[in-house]
Parts: sequence; C-alpha cells; structure tokens
Amino acid sequence: MVGVTIAPTPLAMPIPAVSERHMLNRFSFGCTPELAAEAAAAGGPHAWFEQQLAPSSIPDGFAGGMVSWWPRLAMDAADLQAADAAGTLQGLEVSADLVRWTLMRRAFSKRQLLEVMAAFWLDHLHVRVHDFGSWAVRIEHDTLVRRHALGRFEDMLVGAVLGRALGCNLDNSKSTAKHLNENLGRELLELHTVGREAAYTERDVLDSPRILTGYRVDRFNTWDAWYAPTDHWVGPVQVLGFTHANSAPDGRPVANGLLRYLARHPATARRIAFKLCRRFVSDAPSDAVVAAVSQAYLASGTDIAATLRTLVRHPDFELAVGAKTRTPVEECIATWRALGLRPTKPTRSSDFALYCAYQVDAAGQSPFDWPRPDGPPDTGDAWSSVSRLLSAWNLHYRMAGSQLPTTGVTFRTPQSWLPPLPATVGEIIDHVSQQLLCRHATTRLTSVVAQRIDLPATTTIRVFDDLGTWRVARLLAAVLDTPEHMSR
Amino acid sequence: MTDTTTTADAAYGCSDFRVSRRSLLRGAAAITGAAVTTSLIGDVFTQTAYGNVVDGNVMVVVSLRGGADGLSLVVPHGDPAYAPARPSIGVPTASLLAKDAMFGLHPAFAPLLPMWNAGTFGAVHAVGMPQPNRSHFAAMEEVEDADPGSAERRGWINRMVGLMGTPDPVRAMQLGNGVVPTALYGSEPTVALDNLNNLALPAAAGSWATPTRQSLSAAWSGVDTALGRGALSALDVTQRLASLSVMQPPANGAQYPATALGKALGETARTIRANVGARVIAVDCGAWDHHTGLGSIQTGQLRMNADDLAKSLGAFFTDLGTTASRVTVLTISEFGRRVAENGGNGVDHGHGNCMLALGAGVRGGRYTAQWPGLADGNLVDGDLAVTTDYRSVLSEAIAARFPEASLPRVFPGFTPTPVGVF
Repeated sequence: MVGVTIAPTPLAMPIPAVSERHMLNRFSFGCTPELAAEAAAAGGPHAWFEQQLAPSSIPDGFAGGMVSWWPRLAMDAADLQAADAAGTLQGLEVSADLVRWTLMRRAFSKRQLLEVMAAFWLDHLHVRVHDFGSWAVRIEHDTLVRRHALGRFEDMLVGAVLGRALGCNLDNSKSTAKHLNENLGRELLELHTVGREAAYTERDVLDSPRILTGYRVDRFNTWDAWYAPTDHWVGPVQVLGFTHANSAPDGRPVANGLLRYLARHPATARRIAFKLCRRFVSDAPSDAVVAAVSQAYLASGTDIAATLRTLVRHPDFELAVGAKTRTPVEECIATWRALGLRPTKPTRSSDFALYCAYQVDAAGQSPFDWPRPDGPPDTGDAWSSVSRLLSAWNLHYRMAGSQLPTTGVTFRTPQSWLPPLPATVGEIIDHVSQQLLCRHATTRLTSVVAQRIDLPATTTIRVFDDLGTWRVARLLAAVLDTPEHMSR
Repeated sequence: MTDTTTTADAAYGCSDFRVSRRSLLRGAAAITGAAVTTSLIGDVFTQTAYGNVVDGNVMVVVSLRGGADGLSLVVPHGDPAYAPARPSIGVPTASLLAKDAMFGLHPAFAPLLPMWNAGTFGAVHAVGMPQPNRSHFAAMEEVEDADPGSAERRGWINRMVGLMGTPDPVRAMQLGNGVVPTALYGSEPTVALDNLNNLALPAAAGSWATPTRQSLSAAWSGVDTALGRGALSALDVTQRLASLSVMQPPANGAQYPATALGKALGETARTIRANVGARVIAVDCGAWDHHTGLGSIQTGQLRMNADDLAKSLGAFFTDLGTTASRVTVLTISEFGRRVAENGGNGVDHGHGNCMLALGAGVRGGRYTAQWPGLADGNLVDGDLAVTTDYRSVLSEAIAARFPEASLPRVFPGFTPTPVGVF
C-alpha cells in the first residue's frame, strides 16, 4: 500500500440539525447521513415521521427481498414439526433465522419507524423465540404484531393473546375449565394491559384465565389451533369493570369482550403511554408527557399513530436529546448502519446475514431472548454493565477494522472515511464524526480521538499512508466508543 | 468448617481509615476512572487506594428467578394439608433428607447434606414480602429495591456497599450475567460481568495500552449516567481483575456442573480467592417459573434445577476450602408458589417461600419457621402465608457479617425481627 493514494469520498450531504438528528435517532435504528438526506427530502423531521407512518408507501426492495434468504421461515408449523422430527432441520435454527431476519430488517429496511415500533411491541408482548413450547408457531406472532405495529393496539392485543404463539408460550393452550392454568390470564393483566397499578384482585386474576379457556393448540404435532367449548369455563365472570354471564360453552365473544375492554382501560392507557415515553423520551418520563400520550391513546381508540404523534409533538420529546442509552441490540445495529456494512445473500454461517445473530449476542443481548415474559429492560441502568461496555468497545474496533463479520459483507474502504488530503488530524476527526455521529466533533471528542490514535490534532496527514489502515480503524472505533454513539 | 465470625470481625478495625480517605479517592477515581494503584503480588491484588478489607467477609446472593417452589425444596411433610394439595407433584416423605417432624429437604440436596449435618446449612420457611405480590416482575423489583415507598431506583446491595467506604466497583458484583439486576442499580459503581474471560480493552497491547486507556477515560469521565459509571468501572476492572481472566481449575477437586450457575459460582470462588475486594456477589439461578412440568423427584424441571443448585453450591464450598470461613450464601426468590398444584403438573404464582442460608455465620442444621400451616383457613388466597419478612433474614446476615453496614440505611424504615438463622 506504500505510496498508494485513493480518492476520498467527500461528504455529500449537510449534517442534520439537532432536532432532526434527534427524531431520526429515536425512530430509526441509527441516524446516518443517508437517512438525514431522506428526511430532508421529505420536508423535515415531522414530515419524515408522517411519511414513515404509512410504511407501505415506502419502497423497500432490498430489505423486502431478504425474506427469501431464510426459506425455513416460509414453512408452516406442521411441516416444521415433521422436519424437526425427521432430523432434516433443527427448531433452534428456525428460531435463529427469525432473529437474523429481524436484525437485518431493522438495520436495512427503509421503513425504519415500522421496524422501531415492531421492536417495541414485540418487547411488550414478549414471546421468547427459543421457547420449546411455541417455536413452530412463533413467526406468526411476529407477523401479527408487525401488521398492527402502527395500527390499533386493541386489534394487536386480541390477535396476540388469542394467537397460537402466546397461547402456547404462556400455557393457555392447555388451560381448561377442569385444569385451569393461570399463566397467560395473569400476565395479560400484569404485563400486556392494565398492570399492577390497576389494583386488580386475585379474584380478577382467577376470572381472567377462566375467560381464556377453550383456545387449544395441538402442540408438538400439527400445531393446529381449535376452540373447544367443552374446555371453556362457564359461569359469571368479573375482571375489574368487565362483567359477563359467560353462560355459553362458546366463550369467544366473552374473551374478545374482555380483551377489548382491557385495551381501552385507562390503566392500560397509562401503562402503554409510560412504556412508550420510557422508550422514546427518557428513562423517567414526566407525568405530563405520560398523561398527554395516555390521553391521545384513549381519545383515538388505541390508535398507535395518533398516540405517537402526540408523543413527538410534546415539548419533553424535543428536550430529551441523547437521553437514552442504546441497548446492546440497538447499538450493534446502529454500528452496522454507521459503518455502512451491507449484507449479501448468505450461504455459510460466517456470512453477515447469519453471523449477525451471534454478533449481537456477543454484544450482550439478543432479540426475543429475554428469559421472562416481561420483555427486556428498557432503562440505561440495566444495560450499563462492565461486560456490556467491554463487549461494545471490542466489537467496535473489530467492525471498524473490517474484521467482523468475516464474509458475506461489504465494508467501506478505510480511505473512503477521509476528507480530501492533506488535512489535519482534527479535520479528519470532524469529517468522521459527521459521518458516524451526524454531528461535528466537539473539542472534547477531537482530543479523545487524537489521544486514541496517538497523534496531535494539529498533525497534517498528507497521504493515506500517513495514517494507515489500522490507525483509521482505531480512529473510527474511538468515535464509536463514546457516549455520543452509545446513546440515542 | 468452623465459624470464624469473631476473627473476621476483628478485621474491621480500619474503618476510620477508609472513611477518612473517601472523598479524596472519590475525586481521583472520577477524574481518571482508574486512578487506583494496585500491585500484583503473586496472584493476589492488594488494594492500596480503596482501603478494602483484605480477607473481608463476603455475601453471595443466589437469585432463584421465576419464583421457586419453596414447598418442593424445603418440604413441610408434617403438615397434613401438604400431600393432599399436591397429588401428582408432592415430594414423598420417604424421599426427604434431614427430616424433622415438620420439614425435610428435597432429595436433590444430597450434595449439601454434609454441610447441613455440620451446622453450616440451614433453611428459613414462610418467608417473603409482607404483602403478597404475585407478579414476577414487580415482585423482583420490590425484593431487590427493598425500600418500599421510595421513588429512588436503588437496590439494597447498592445501598449496602455504599456504606463500606470509598466507592469501589468491585465491591458489589454480579457474575454470570451482564444485565445489571435491580439489586445493584444506583449511584454506587458496581460490576456486572457475564464471564471473567473478556476483560481486555480493544487493541490495547504494548505501547497502545496507555493511549487507549487515557482516551477512553477522557471520553467517559464526568458522564453522570449509569452508562458513564459502567464505563469507568470497566476501565478499572480491566486492570484489577485481569489476572482472573486466566482460567484456573477449581481447588480441592471441586467439580462444578456444566451449567450457567456452576460456571458463575466457579468464577465467584476465583474472585473471592483473589481478594480483589468483592464483598457482595450476586449470581442468578434462573428459570424456576414452573407453571407446568414441575415433575417428580426423579425427573422434571424442579429436580433439574434443584440438582444444579445443590451440586453447584456443593462444588463452590469445596472449591473455597478454608476461605469458606468468610463466605455466606443466601438464596432469594421473588415469591413462592401456590400450595395446590394446577392442571399442568405445575404450580402458579404464590406468596410465602423458603430461603436457604449456607456458610459462615449460619446457625444451620435446622429449620427456622413460624409455620402458619397449609390448612385452607391459614392460606392467603391459596398461598403459604408469610410470617418472616425476607428483610429480617438479610438484616440478620448483614448484622452478623457486615457490621459496618448500617441496617436502617440498607433497609430504610424497616425494623427487623430476630429470626435466629445467624
């Protein structure tokens, strides 16, 4: 490489304003100069947000076509079970495929708001992907939640709770009048809807699973779902303010009634509003913003788009720039986006589109893998461990140096990160900061990065080899290792 | 194994020293993130700045996550209502270990029977939170925050180690899981590690060590968030725990099961032996939410988990050898489970539970309980009533082993009652 100079890629677009970057960092998996240009073309952050609320209107050829990379995801549950029994595929690999597809969509879809909201709701209605008791039907939970992710929560709740995946995962599929299992009925109240603040009683908790009896699944076999009137618990029921004589063996209208009642309960509104604000505003959102969002949720009949509009227009949103710690999954995806990695159709396990699942796991978190039904924690406290920091810093360096992933991926060249040379180290750091962080380098960042590559910021770099490939990797990693990149 | 409470307590004579240097060192640590001088003598790091007690007492808190079924672990076989409530999952009296008239241990505890007989393993029953809370998540947070009514998000372990001198991240650690638990949340720096093998900064070998470390310190100093504290702790730990990255075989022929708990307790033993200043180490033993498939004494999820717990703890104490004289283990779970079995060969969320106490200071070889009884009239919504607040058990352990930690500050507003397990 000695003496070789390669023409640098100048930064094509201006960096976004703070408010624009803020919107894009909250409602995408990481602001990039390319995304900022899209938002500018849409007419600004709020116009971009509106555009994103109608995902089907956004062409998404690359990410949309990726589904064919994981053919096992198109198999139906009975075929999956048969293939698993015959030893021609492994259930664990099917689950891993869903994780991989999810990661790639989050990173590369143009419908970023849809991906962000699908992630939010899949955490809220969490079904562990590696659950032996629901693996073959897990994907339909994903499909259902994605369909309603920007629609109405009420519809999402009915579909998810009465669906096969949640029914199997939380044991409702084998709960009967005679042998009641209260797992799903309890979590429906505690996790999916009103929460403990609603002060429901153990009597309410008993009637909730009673109402849900009858929804059966032929697990570990055909995985067919059916409604069994003989298994439905019959008799008067009361859950909070919902009452029903429940005298018919077909309890489906009662179950639907309960779920729609719960979805529109003020306590559910507060809980959903709190969780939305915790994810998109700050770890401890004010009562004012939670109340406003909760009000919008109720007034709109659980309409998610209307609820989100209220959130992003609230003054607290604008004030919360950089206030959220990226989770390891969010941060890993943001790093792929910032560094401009692109996957190609995978053929072997080292290829990016397959390896990505191991990479986020090494970062300290994996989508849909939280061991309990409450979904992963959503505050910085939980994701600030020594392990997490060390993993992130080590991954940044290996990705910045084009070492990981090893195959099935294209990286930008080290040369492409630099401005036209000659330039000072300080100018180079600023140029990289604009590309990776969508902002100019502060004096602090400049000094941090210069220290990391062991060159004064005033040093003039005349040709690429004055820095060299490995110093560029150190430089990129130093920018990624900061609070600026690890927060959103 | 003998109880060396008296000797260990004598080591606390230097508390004034720690307090007097506290503010100075807090400032220094904040500036550089790693201003702690450590010297390597053989395998042992000796603290020269934190003022940590060398050979200090250690508490290991094993969280049985998901709500362990205490009625299967410490079985009230003498209660006439027990067997009828659990026709298919009840633990038969004949199979129990260390039986007295009321209680017996699940047969999986065989590896710990020598400790029981030596009086260093005991159990408390009908213990839990004063108010029933059958929600996993709220219950876990409440148990680990242990400061009801306060809006501050700070866990009891964070409060406890905050009372032990100059802030030192390694004083409170979680091993085996890199997600910080509620008990460690708070202003005091702490460490959560999924394992001890990856404790290096990136590309920081040789002459790059100093620029890398200084740059990261500069990037994160003064960042007053949990992430900022985590980053400075990470920089600190890469220096101080580096020797622990070297895999060492367990001592005294200890054989840990090849499980997450076995691995985490193996790393816990290594950490304790290295004397880096760890005082409270939290370890997760997950997946006790046995709504279905709890199983029998031979097979099933409960047997599997109890085997793991007993074998891992047995190996841990074997591994520690004489060091066990300063190590106390407590198990804790967010709630117990329903007395009557459900339709799925399991038990739903309940209330009262058992806690296990092992090691230094424990008055073991016996069951401690004000037993409320399992007859219908004595249950709370079908659950074992709580007659002992879990904070009383923790308080007794802290008072016995960590006299420098003020109980009213660890558990604000709580007045412990004597339990008699320490």
